[in-house]
Amino acid sequence: MKTDGFSKLHPVTNFLFFLGVIGFGVVFQHPAYLAAGVVAAGIYYILLDGRKALKAIAAMLPLFLLVTVLNPLFNTRGANVLFSVFGRPYTLEALCYGAAVGGILVITLLWFGCYSRIMTEDKFTALFGQLAPSLSLLLVMVFRLVPNLIEKARQITGARHCIGLGGKQATKKEKLQNAMTVLMALTGWSLESGILTADSMRSRGYGTAKRSNFHLYRITRSDVLVLMFTGITAAVTLYSAFAGATGAKYTPTLSFAPVTPMLAAYCLYLLIPAIIHLKEVILCRIFISKI
Amino acid sequence: MPHLHIQNLTFTYPGSNIPALQDVNLTIRQGEYIALCGRSGSGKTTLLRHLKTVLTPHGTRTGQILFGDTPLELIPHNIQASKIGYVMQNPEDQIVTDKVWHELSFGLENIGFDRTAMRTRVAEMACYFGIQDWFHKDVSTLSGGQKQLLNLASVMAMQPEVLILDEPTSMLDPLAASDFLNTIRKINLELGTTIIITEHRLEDILHGADRVVVMEQGQVVVNDAPRAAGSALWQQKHPMFAAMPTPMQVFYRSGGQEDCPLTVREGRTWLNNLLPQGASIPSLPETPEEPSDEIALQLKELWFRYERDSSDVLRSASICVPTGSFHAIVGGNGAGKSTLLKAICGICKPYRGKVSVFGKSYGAHKAGELFRNCLAMLPQDPKSLFARDTVAEELQEVCKDDAQIAQMAALCKIDHLLNRHPYDLSGGEQQRTALAKVLLTNPRVLLLDEPTKGIDGFFKEILADILCKLKKQGATIVMVSHDVEFCAKYADRVSMFFDGQILATHTPRAFFGGNSFYTTSANRISRSIFRDAVTIDHLVQLVESNREAAQ
Amino acid sequence: MKKSTLFTLLALFVLIPATLVLGKFLPGRSYYITCTLLVVYLLIPFFLAFEGKKPDARELVLIAIMCALAVASRWLFLWLPNFKPIYAIIILSGIVFGSQTGFLVGAVSAFASNFLFGQGPWTPWQMMAYGVCGCLAGLCYYKKSKLPRDPMSLGLFGFLSVLFVVCPLLDTSTVVTSLTVYTPASIASVYLAGLTVNLIQAVCTFVSLLLLSKPLLSKLQRILIKYGIDR
Repeated sequence: MKTDGFSKLHPVTNFLFFLGVIGFGVVFQHPAYLAAGVVAAGIYYILLDGRKALKAIAAMLPLFLLVTVLNPLFNTRGANVLFSVFGRPYTLEALCYGAAVGGILVITLLWFGCYSRIMTEDKFTALFGQLAPSLSLLLVMVFRLVPNLIEKARQITGARHCIGLGGKQATKKEKLQNAMTVLMALTGWSLESGILTADSMRSRGYGTAKRSNFHLYRITRSDVLVLMFTGITAAVTLYSAFAGATGAKYTPTLSFAPVTPMLAAYCLYLLIPAIIHLKEVILCRIFISKI
Repeated sequence: MPHLHIQNLTFTYPGSNIPALQDVNLTIRQGEYIALCGRSGSGKTTLLRHLKTVLTPHGTRTGQILFGDTPLELIPHNIQASKIGYVMQNPEDQIVTDKVWHELSFGLENIGFDRTAMRTRVAEMACYFGIQDWFHKDVSTLSGGQKQLLNLASVMAMQPEVLILDEPTSMLDPLAASDFLNTIRKINLELGTTIIITEHRLEDILHGADRVVVMEQGQVVVNDAPRAAGSALWQQKHPMFAAMPTPMQVFYRSGGQEDCPLTVREGRTWLNNLLPQGASIPSLPETPEEPSDEIALQLKELWFRYERDSSDVLRSASICVPTGSFHAIVGGNGAGKSTLLKAICGICKPYRGKVSVFGKSYGAHKAGELFRNCLAMLPQDPKSLFARDTVAEELQEVCKDDAQIAQMAALCKIDHLLNRHPYDLSGGEQQRTALAKVLLTNPRVLLLDEPTKGIDGFFKEILADILCKLKKQGATIVMVSHDVEFCAKYADRVSMFFDGQILATHTPRAFFGGNSFYTTSANRISRSIFRDAVTIDHLVQLVESNREAAQ
Repeated sequence: MKKSTLFTLLALFVLIPATLVLGKFLPGRSYYITCTLLVVYLLIPFFLAFEGKKPDARELVLIAIMCALAVASRWLFLWLPNFKPIYAIIILSGIVFGSQTGFLVGAVSAFASNFLFGQGPWTPWQMMAYGVCGCLAGLCYYKKSKLPRDPMSLGLFGFLSVLFVVCPLLDTSTVVTSLTVYTPASIASVYLAGLTVNLIQAVCTFVSLLLLSKPLLSKLQRILIKYGIDR
């Protein structure tokens, strides 16, 4: 994975950013805000994932079109009738509204794509370790067990293959039965070894005192700066939303609130991770060129 | 000052009439290094688990254990958690969390350390144990040796006064095992931590141990300094003597008196003093080798890699195994020996080269036919073959014929275990159950992947016995192993696997006799005097015949 | 009073009305946020109950194993598209450990598997739906229940609960995220569109439970007895 400046920040910083950006993303319907959202989320997603992101974005297009085109079929309100389908009017306004909802969907998917890359398991558990110690330990244990179980399943499948159980040319039914037996074996094995895990936990004092929570993240100066910046821009955006700057009505006629300079605050907010990413890339170039 | 004081401890498991521990008395002083040994089922683990209240099994018990001068059960669990460290056998199952750094801090979190103190402690541990390079890794990417080191480090992070280790290296390859044991030694010497360890590899720990405690049927039978303990075992004709270091065994078996050698170095000195003029008979008579003409298994220039752009694991590996022979393949850790076996079985598909079994290429065997009456493999971990609720059901999964099952159970010495649950068996029994399951497919070529891993010397002998019987019945056995001593003792031919290829193939005597690093202790002791003594038996025999010749 | 009960009361009388009222005032399409918050309120009491219970090591390990099995089981059936025994494992956990733990296993496995396959706006819904799946099984079968436990009836139970409870709940998240207008026709179309996939999932659960319920229940029972976990 390429180095990303934003993901180096404290989980709290990351999480609060995504909370806001997804929250705004699903609510705002104003075309300018939508456009800003799609562009900013798209840019950051591409910065993170490169070529893979482009593919994922391409896969979102049909979804967007589907939502856009389908909306007028259910929603017949609107002044400009384009044509009629099954005797029902197909209106421009409904089409636009469909596009807006499609846009919202794309924005959420894009931000969640970024979220999945940034908020890794250890960040998430670091964040909620204090708040929900048992749950986050449970989650950590699940993450430890999943690769372990897959490896065990691989061993079981291999071992059975070598005594002629579950061969490759078996019928679908036999394969299904064999896979179920492997799952059985896997359950037995993991449950029995789990008892040792529990012993190892108890022997290291699990349950003897109130658990504290360890992680490697520290709030740094840049965290404070980014948090402050996030807070200010988000507050301005929120204010503008309540002031009606994001108001948009699609049906029966299109009517949008005039674009105010406060849109700039929203744009700045959206671009935080991309800016940090680019800053980091440039700094890296400079530092490395000095070596 | 006694650190741990076990007084008249007797313990019986529920539903059993025979006590698992009987009147055990043991005093362990601060900073001592105690090697606890005994065959499996002698009560070692039961005793160790009594030294930590949360791990103590249920049952009836009398007697008491003092930690310092307080009875152990009166010490609160959180104090015990940090003062008494416990490392178990299986490296995999002890790990709780998904990241190395988190595992290191797990114990500290449990006793409520604050984060800043934890940060220092964790950093300290990572440095002491050389974990910096894989500090941020997922635990699933670590090797077995690294996992066990992590388990040790995360226990040591709590700064225990006593460290208890229950067969910590039995799942590791020799190199990782000796690294691990060196670390234990270092902890004992540098930190003064009291160490109580059970171990199959007595050769590696005895020279550093202060005392050897031998258990049998729940009783302590020997409790003495290593040399004295060895002498006592020899005099009692105790079966545990066979687990003692090679130099000690050779010394007593060839009639040595007084202080015995413990290490290879001491063994060499002793042997040089015994035969100052050198040996008049430097070598045992050649045993003529008569390999069968028929070829059971042939690999021709196999190439394999796991992923398209990873590096090759097999690089033109070729081997030819004649019918009816016991062929061992040895080689370093991670060299790809197991991959070689997987390639033979078709779990891994080589992208170049040919595998043929009894002259027919792999593809020419009909589906399902290859693994019936022809080829089968015993996996490294016997647990990977268990899916049912009793041993008998396990066997029935492969073969429906009760007579055949009974016969196979008798051969593998599991006939008394048929109604037990596979997971209630000991390691050696589990392995024999898995072997019986594999053998019920009637393989003419049997592949074994590290069959001696995790089992003690007595179970190894039973295994060797079964393998010899199979060989007599005409089976061909190909074994991949780290266990140099086992290969030297039982194999017909030994091959070296290195860098994806099979290098040299010889008889064990020629093979290990020619190596100076990758060889048995017996050969290390005697290589300046005898030509190819690779097992204890060889060495004893040669010493005796030389002594006779001198007279 | 227990924290979880306290929260339930708080949610019922304060949080839910407050969220609904606030939702009214928020501009734009705020009902996604409102609905998701409602779903989250449903999840929290279960999580609080788990936290309050201070689970002991063996219990925690067993729950973690069931979740991991539910997530990893998918790997075994990669060759069969659409086949996931995940519901079967969640249902069995509910049967053995009861409704609360069943819910937890469901919710945590949904959450954990989304870490591998990508989080999305559906995450809370999926957690809730999977949780309800385990909870329902616990309510119907845990301990003293007299319902028949043979593989066939368990299979049928799985089939019905997946087809009529779990999958519709999942489709509801689609309704909330991607529908533009809420008419009976548009809502029905979403549920109908999902029907084939849901039917496949239900059949998978039926088959898995038919084949797995007996051996897995006996393995779980053995562990509970062997290690003296009080059930």
